[in-house]
Parts: sequence; structure tokens; C-alpha cells
Amino acid sequence: MYRKFLRLTKSLTVSFEKVVNFLTTQEHNPLYFHGALPLYIFWFLIFSGILLWMYYIPTLDRAWSSVNYISALPVPGDPVNEAAGIPYGAVVRGIHRWGAAGMMITTILHMLRVYFTDRHRSWRWLPWVTGVALLAFVLFVGLTGYLLVWDARAYYIVVATQRLLEAVPVAGAALSRFLVGGDGITDYTLTRFLFFHVGGAVLIFLLVWMHFIRLKQPVATPSRATNFMVLGFILVAAGTLPAINITRELLQKYAADPRIAAQALYVASDAPAQIGTLVDTIRYDAWYMFPYWLVQNVGVTWTWLILGGATLLLCVAPFYPKDRRANIAEVIEAKCTGCTFCSQDCPFEAITMVDRAPGSKFKQIAVVQAARCSECGICVGACPFQAIELPELHSKTLEADLLDLVKKGA
Amino acid sequence: MSDAKKTIIGFVCERSLPLEYMLDGGKALLDDPDTKVVIVPCSGMVKPTFLETALAKGADATFVCGCAIGDCHYRTGNLMIRERLEGKRSPKLRKTTDRRKVGMFFVTMKDRTAFLAALAEFKAGLDARPAQEE
Ligand code: HEM
Ligand code: SF4
Ligand code: SF4
Repeated sequence: MYRKFLRLTKSLTVSFEKVVNFLTTQEHNPLYFHGALPLYIFWFLIFSGILLWMYYIPTLDRAWSSVNYISALPVPGDPVNEAAGIPYGAVVRGIHRWGAAGMMITTILHMLRVYFTDRHRSWRWLPWVTGVALLAFVLFVGLTGYLLVWDARAYYIVVATQRLLEAVPVAGAALSRFLVGGDGITDYTLTRFLFFHVGGAVLIFLLVWMHFIRLKQPVATPSRATNFMVLGFILVAAGTLPAINITRELLQKYAADPRIAAQALYVASDAPAQIGTLVDTIRYDAWYMFPYWLVQNVGVTWTWLILGGATLLLCVAPFYPKDRRANIAEVIEAKCTGCTFCSQDCPFEAITMVDRAPGSKFKQIAVVQAARCSECGICVGACPFQAIELPELHSKTLEADLLDLVKKGA
Repeated sequence: MSDAKKTIIGFVCERSLPLEYMLDGGKALLDDPDTKVVIVPCSGMVKPTFLETALAKGADATFVCGCAIGDCHYRTGNLMIRERLEGKRSPKLRKTTDRRKVGMFFVTMKDRTAFLAALAEFKAGLDARPAQEE
């Protein structure tokens, strides 16, 4: 059943990609760079994030206004906003925010693609499980980003997160205090959020490195055409809908000003947070705020159950269904010269070169780590000395088949 | 086009083409019985010497068929065999091998028609050529 399902998803994915191949050729099909895309967008986030960081002030009374200063549209006659702000600050903020949505979307697409094409199982468990951690971290960093704006929505998220944490047995109260850095929300709270946000982003780097440990030559840069396309998307989105803080009052006050009116559909952030005053409706950003949609609609316990259950399912996914693994590459000791070709070409880093005993004719020998082997036979193609073989498909057998076919054909 | 019977040996990755619908009872292509197929788990398993052996033992042409570039199930197999046949990665084809008789196709399991068209073109190219000096 499940196998059939995986076969069906693969078939549908390939059909879809065939259409794109027709438009872009195989070499430039953006869907073939599904893993490289989130990484590429991550660079936008780092650079725009550094620019924002230069002006951000992590204190309760200045956080919102510092973000506003970065991005404020100059508003004629407004004592705070007139000619204020940093040139193109709203666009940089837009790049950061649209980039964050883009990273989440491409990460999810990457995950679905890997899953649908059956590239998540068995020997691939390490990239998959580190991938699950990456997904969690992308979500975490995105959410902490929303906190930094310190608007009404950020305050709502803090209160809801505290409720979530308090529901944890035993450690609940401590976790909740840990989140805000003490009994209540203080300036230290925002310093901590900034640390979570930046520290989380650094950890994403570390996780990406772990993600690649068993992947030889990961495709980590999209084709140039794909790069320009993504760059275009982000710049157009950030240029036409930059991220700004227009409060509802400002909107009403300056409704006549076309520059303000143009942003009315995309009110990026709310009014400054008022501790103790909880907004009753928060605007959900579907890519990041679904946990809070859950909190509001199904309650704290169910939110934990749903998020925990989903994570658990994701973590065990690579181990089912089990494959019969009988065709793991084997090295023929007497023939191996230690040339390293096979270990250079093995796509899953399953072959290590090990020193031979002193005095041997050759210095090294190839050793296959069974659990990492995909049974692909690429090492067989790489070995000039016929020293490595798949036991159920010996290259001698292949050659015999081939001679048979030539004879039959002639 | 000559109507002389040809023998073409293809090494086909089991994940690239829907082979279960494409072969007669044996190992000949339904749509082109001249073409016989050796199935491999990944095009990256093909050694250039396999192709040389096929030609040396009397095949008129030989080819490798793997997944679309960018979509190898084993990540890099099709890139490896492409580089080997292009002489950019060891083991390479012998210098004396007639490259015109060696084909490469990279397709998805939905590209059956495209593959057959490319194969026909490859065959037509063989006929169009002047007799080989072998
Ligand atoms: C920040 C987010 C992520 C980045 C930057 C990223 C990046 C990449 C890259 C560049 C590759 C190599 C592709 C190749 O060369 O074949 C890859 C492979 C892979 N990724 Fe991710 N990834 C991310 C998240 C995820 C997630 C959320 C999952 C799943 C839960 C995942 C699962 C995998 C798996 C299983 C592979 C191996 C695919 C194969 O062997 O063909 N990744 N990733
Ligand atoms: S068959 Fe060879 S190349 Fe393929 S994963 Fe196993 S050891 Fe690596
Ligand atoms: S390619 Fe062959 S000879 Fe070279 S190290 Fe690997 S198994 Fe040994």
C-alpha cells in the first residue's frame, strides 16, 4: 500500500517535472535544484539581516521604533516619520521578510520532492533526519524574527508560547521563564530574542554541514538561470510590497497620501506591543504562524500532540518500508590497488580508504560501510581494476549477458 | 537509410525508462527489435569497457541511457558516466573507440517517446556515415 503510494507520488512528480524540462531543459530545471534553493535564499537573509541588525535596538521601548526607523516611509507632516528612515530600508526589510517566506516554501518543496521521489529512505536517513531538524530551525528562526518587531502580534506570540511551554510537564514553568529571561518581560527578553534569532541562524549553517556529511558533491548552487529568477522574485516582491510598520491609525490619518494608500493591503506589522494588552485577532503568516493558529483553534494540548506527532512521523519515515538489502558493494581484496577512484565517486560517502598492513604491495584498500551503501554500482563503474562488485550483479555476469545479446542480434 | 539489420546494445538504468512496458519477452525493445538492452541499477555502473566489448564483439553501436541530468536517483551516476564517455573522468573510453557509435541518452521514466525518437536519430546517423575504417 505504502510502497504503491510512494510509486504514485514519484510518477506524478516526474510527470510534472517533464513539463518543466520541456520549457527549461534538464540542465536548468529549477525543480532539480530543490535543495540548493533554500540555501541560496539563505544568503539573502544573512546579508539583509546584517543590515537590519546594524540599526536594531533590542529594548522594550525602542525595538518597534528602531524597526520603524529602518523602514519608515517618509510621511509628510508627521513629526516622527517625515523624511525619516534609511534609504531603501523598507526594501531591505522586505528582502528579509520575503526571503524568509521563500526559504520556508522552498524548504518544504525540497522536503516534499525528496519524499515524493523516494529519496528519503534507508541509507539516506542522516540527510533526512538533519533535514527535519533544519525545518524546525527554519521555523524557529522565522518565528523569533517576528518577535523582534515587538508589535502587538509579537506580544501575542510570546504569551501563546508561554502558555505552550507552561503545559510541558515538570519543566514547564522553568521553560517559560527561560523564554523571556525571568519572571516577566523586560529589556533582557528582547536581547534574548535577538540571540535566539541570530544564534538559530548560525545553527542552521551547522545543520546544513551535517546535512551534507553523507552526500558527495551536494548540488548546493542552483543554475544561473534559476538564481536570476529567484533574485527577480525577491526583488520584485520586496520592491512592490516592502515591509513597513504602518499602524491602523497612521493608515487612517494619511489615507490620502498615495504612498501610504499603496501599502494598505500589506500592513506588515502592527502597532507597538502593549504589555498586558492582548490583541484578539492576529494576522497569520501561513508559513510561520500555523502553530499559533493551532493554539488559538484547538488548544495547547492538541497543538503539542499535533506538532510532536508530525515530528515523530517525519523522523521515522526513512526507516519504512524496509528494503531487502542484499546487493551491497564488496571489495575483492587481492585486486584492489588502493587507487581511491571508487571512494571519490561513491555518491553517499560509503567507501573509505584504509591503510594496509606495512609491507603490502599496495598502501591502501577500499572498505565499504554497508549501512551507507545504496547498491547503485557507481563504484563498479569507477574501478579500473574490477576490484569492487555488486554481489547480485557481478560485472562478469553483465559482460556475459552482453555477449549473449550481441550473438543473438548478429 | 539502409535496411540492413543492426545490432545495438544499450545499457539502460532501470529507473530511467519504464522498461517493464518496453521489452519483448527477452531483452529486445518492442519498438525497435534491433536494440537489445542490458539493465543496470544506475547508468553510473556502466564501465566504458562494457561499451568497447560490445563494439569489439560485433555490435554496430552501443549506448548508455540514464536518468535526466539533475535527477539521478543515486544523485551523481549519470554525471559520472557522461564525464567518462566525454573523456573527462577515469576510467575513459579507449582513444581508438569510434565515438560515433557510442550514444548517451538521459531521460525520465515519462520520456519513452522522446527516447525512442532520439534512438532513431542515433541509428539514422550511423547509416548516414561513410563506411568506417576499422
Ligand atoms: C535549510 C533547509 C535545507 C537545505 C539548505 C537543504 C539542502 C540540501 C541540499 C543542497 C541537498 C543536496 C541535494 C543533492 O545534491 O542531491 C540536500 C539533500 C537532501 N535533503 Fe535537504 N535541505 C534542507 C532541508 C531539508 C529538509 C527539511 C529535509 C527533509 C526533512 C531534507 C532532506 C534531504 C534529503 C533526504 C536529502 C538527500 C537527497 C538525495 O540523497 O538525493 N532537507 N538538501
Ligand atoms: S554501490 Fe558503491 S558507489 Fe554505490 S553507494 Fe554502494 S559503495 Fe557507494
Ligand atoms: S577503485 Fe577499485 S582498485 Fe581503486 S580503490 Fe576502489 S576498489 Fe580499489
